[in-house]
Amino acid sequence: MIARYAVLAMLPVVAFVALTQRRRLAAIIGMGLFSFLLAVAYLQLHAPDVALTEAIIGAALTTAIYVLAIRRTGRLAVVADEAPGLLAREGDRVVGLEHEILERFAKHLGLDLSVELVPYQEVAEQVRRGEADIGAGGLVLPPDVPDLFTRPYLETALFTIGGAETGEGAAPPMVRYDGYFAELEIERLDGAGRPITLDLARFLSVRVPDEAVVRHPERRGYSFVVGQRRSELHTELEAYLDHLRETGELDRLIRRYVV
Amino acid sequence: MRFRVRPLSVLTVVAACAVVAIVLLGYHANRPDEAPYSTYVVRPVEETGAVNRVASIYLNYRLFDSVLEVLVFFVAVLGVRHYLGTRERTAVPSLAESEVVRTSSALLFPLAVLLGVYLAALGHLSPGGGFGAGVIVASGALLVSISLGMDAIERRFSLGTIEWVEQGALFLLLAATLLPLAFGRAALTDVLPKGRTGQVVSGGMIPVYNALVGVKVLAGSWLILRSFVRHRGEI
Amino acid sequence: MAFSVGIVLLGIGLVAIAIRRDLVIKLLALGLTNAGSILCLVAIGDRPDAHVPICAVCHDVLYADPLPQALVLSAIVINFAILALALVFVMRLVEQYHTTDSRHVEDLVQRDLDEGGQQ
Repeated sequence: MIARYAVLAMLPVVAFVALTQRRRLAAIIGMGLFSFLLAVAYLQLHAPDVALTEAIIGAALTTAIYVLAIRRTGRLAVVADEAPGLLAREGDRVVGLEHEILERFAKHLGLDLSVELVPYQEVAEQVRRGEADIGAGGLVLPPDVPDLFTRPYLETALFTIGGAETGEGAAPPMVRYDGYFAELEIERLDGAGRPITLDLARFLSVRVPDEAVVRHPERRGYSFVVGQRRSELHTELEAYLDHLRETGELDRLIRRYVV
Repeated sequence: MRFRVRPLSVLTVVAACAVVAIVLLGYHANRPDEAPYSTYVVRPVEETGAVNRVASIYLNYRLFDSVLEVLVFFVAVLGVRHYLGTRERTAVPSLAESEVVRTSSALLFPLAVLLGVYLAALGHLSPGGGFGAGVIVASGALLVSISLGMDAIERRFSLGTIEWVEQGALFLLLAATLLPLAFGRAALTDVLPKGRTGQVVSGGMIPVYNALVGVKVLAGSWLILRSFVRHRGEI
Repeated sequence: MAFSVGIVLLGIGLVAIAIRRDLVIKLLALGLTNAGSILCLVAIGDRPDAHVPICAVCHDVLYADPLPQALVLSAIVINFAILALALVFVMRLVEQYHTTDSRHVEDLVQRDLDEGGQQ
């Protein structure tokens, strides 16, 4: 008797928890569990045909096709925010210096490259959580390095536009904006005015003439980031970047895309 | 959980709660004391020959509903194959990395087939039916593809064969619904003798429909799964 | 009570479709909406102390109503196929725009349309 109400009462709880997950895989598995509980509920409602069908479809097949859809086997999953010249959308393709490097790297590893655009702040987060293999998109090496950032492959500088960033004090300037760069572009070119610190590639794209610009003197660089548990991938990537540097290919690519 | 509280989101949640509350209150306030239950249960079993009353409904009294649902399923499978067909991997080795998973997955397939045949054949006597049967065998086949690799399977059962099976089952299903016309009866009626209640061979056309629907759903689900396994794309 | 739970699930599913930005989670919520409606339908046919509607000779004992169960049985399988098709569309969308964030996809579509108009 209690069991009947317990199962029914658990259903909204499990569904709510499953749908409020941040990771897609967790949500999918949660919904698989929900389907299983639902099948038990159907049994309690004296509907055995429905219970059987729901169990096999919800718990097995639906979960299977979702997992197949988001699986990353055979792929090099890159998360990045757009950065003009480095990694940007053009039509339905992605082009840029970093994209070319990563594409060649993926081919070198025998994998397909897949790029997912996420907000700048989320790149390191997602790589840390293991949801992607490599983070890219004009990432500027922060002073503290908890994750495995590669050595910078290209020098850059930081610019603050629109006046001094408030509340900075002695903290080193960092690229930090909310949301996607595409939104920022539109917002800036419409004339919105919060002071913001950007790297060179992005700065060139959103700069508006006659605006106060402060160039920070420290030398910074663009890097890729790899998760802490993927040290072999990190080693491979560093080795590949070194290889590009030595053969002069990196310079050729830089000249083609950036200069 | 970290949410950025946006006014529109809050409004959505509040509105949804209000609608849910209103529906629930309305239902409980106006629910009749004696709900209008259907009378399918009290009909004599000799009308259909099916002890499972649910099967008697969707494979006899309301057969047209099931046939059209199968048609919708067919169209959905067509859609999946069309849109996923353009980017397929040429070679799909086994998806599982561990030996244990590979071995044990293949062992479950015969069980799945047995279960599917049982459900389809005895769908008129106990819970089951063609829909569940087809899906169970298809997921068993997915296990085999995890274990042996899609290429090994498709060497044995090529894509063309599966397509023929699917379309053949659909054609036979539609033909079976029109069969009574040859006997001077209306379409969709059950023309086979009902037999003795409780036997496996009884229930008129119901086991036939169960089998045909089972095969159709099996082939269609397998085609969907196969397209997903072979797809090389990005999410 | 099962009917109420079904309505609540329907509500949760609809809210999740509206609020969550990830396209895959939206699809999962759509599946939840399906499950909620189906639960409502099956619950309507249930009676307290009912028997499973499988009987050769159905006596005066109360049986659960088999009609909603029959209607819903094929619907579950078809929902799976339709959900697979929806997932395929989402995958194509992600291939085109390289993101699963629905709001960003809207922005990108708008940007493409604007650029297309200016050409």
